[in-house]
Amino acid sequence: MHDFDAHIRAVEEDLEYYRAKRFEPRVFYLLRRNVVMFSDLLKARVELKRKNQFFKPRKPEGKNIEARVRYLEEWLDEYVKGIALVSARAVEAMDMVTEDNRKERGDYDEFFKIKKKEHHGTLEERMVNLEQDLKDYQELLEVFVQALIQRGWSTREELEQRWKQLHEQRPWAGGVIVAKAWTDPEFKHALLATGREALREMGVHQGKVGKLVVVENTDKVHNVIVCTLCSCYPYDILGDTPWWYKHESYRTNIVQNPRACIRDMFGLDIPAGKEVQVYDSTSDVRYFVLPQQPAGTEEMSENELAKLVTVDSLIGAGYALEPAQLQQAKKLGATPEAPRVRPD
Amino acid sequence: MEYTDSKYKIGDAVMVAAENSTGNPRTPKYIRGKRGVVGSVHGILENIRDHRGIHNPLYTVRFDLSEVSTCHDQDSIWVDVHEEWLSEVRPDS
Repeated sequence: MHDFDAHIRAVEEDLEYYRAKRFEPRVFYLLRRNVVMFSDLLKARVELKRKNQFFKPRKPEGKNIEARVRYLEEWLDEYVKGIALVSARAVEAMDMVTEDNRKERGDYDEFFKIKKKEHHGTLEERMVNLEQDLKDYQELLEVFVQALIQRGWSTREELEQRWKQLHEQRPWAGGVIVAKAWTDPEFKHALLATGREALREMGVHQGKVGKLVVVENTDKVHNVIVCTLCSCYPYDILGDTPWWYKHESYRTNIVQNPRACIRDMFGLDIPAGKEVQVYDSTSDVRYFVLPQQPAGTEEMSENELAKLVTVDSLIGAGYALEPAQLQQAKKLGATPEAPRVRPD
Repeated sequence: MEYTDSKYKIGDAVMVAAENSTGNPRTPKYIRGKRGVVGSVHGILENIRDHRGIHNPLYTVRFDLSEVSTCHDQDSIWVDVHEEWLSEVRPDS
């Protein structure tokens, strides 16, 4: 970890995204339908006891900046898991579907958009602010969970069990799938032809959301994925997207001027001989890119190859790493991180 | 579950409607009123997690980048569009 500013920016962007797009729209949805009321939240706040809390207070493991950045990232992860906990209950309580949430958060109507907070100041000030935001946002989440229990929409036991499931480690499927496609032509053929079906026999998690289509990069074609309407992505298989995938600048620019966008945002110059094909995932299909296998890796094992597969390369914002790049990253103490995968 | 009784086939030239009276909002503004070519036919897809009911057959439509933006690179944008948003474009029109 070297670019602390970039890490903090990612936490800032993601935190606001999850608050304004995933959590608060669901709260409004349930408030409007009297699943919970504001007064239930107040009551739950007053009656909250430490031993009943789902979300425990956190502390950094050191005073140095790296430990503090890591702690903010882990705290964000905990917040996002908390939203997953609440969402599952909201979905079941009111038979809520993704489309309801899109309407509620203003994907189709500016009027409903929840404004995101802006971040200013020195790195130190921004970190202090983030700490406070995380504390506040998590407290609201906590109170909301308690109110759901008090109103009888869920039980403590049920939520505790789900909370435990949310913390089970799941392997990242992206690297495993791509490495197999590189080494097993038959599997690659099946993956491109049938998508999700091909994953069944691999023992990786198949996911459930929409139809899966995998698009292959070749010497002639460079594929890129976007969702201009919201941020659709096969997260149920591949885990979280990077913050920029959800950011308006990427979602606007990639369909206006793809080459310039890829160059400016990711430093990648797509050769003139390749056609850039941008897939806009507007509906029931979720896409990811099968990147090209880097030259000189023919002798590597599937396990080793899987490490070359970055999240960016599955979206088309980068190529799979060359072995030398992986070595270099290791030397700097920064290996490409697999995204977090949550049970759906 | 997939069905194949779709109106258009791969290679058909199509135009995206400017508006949709059925209220299905999953078609972005930048392709409305634009011409493209059917690239894939997905048929009717059941997706109960995302929305209630069942939408019309879905297509992936290929647009030249220059049709949907001011950029003239020889690149393309592929967008998923439901059938009621599309109409046929005759080759001579």
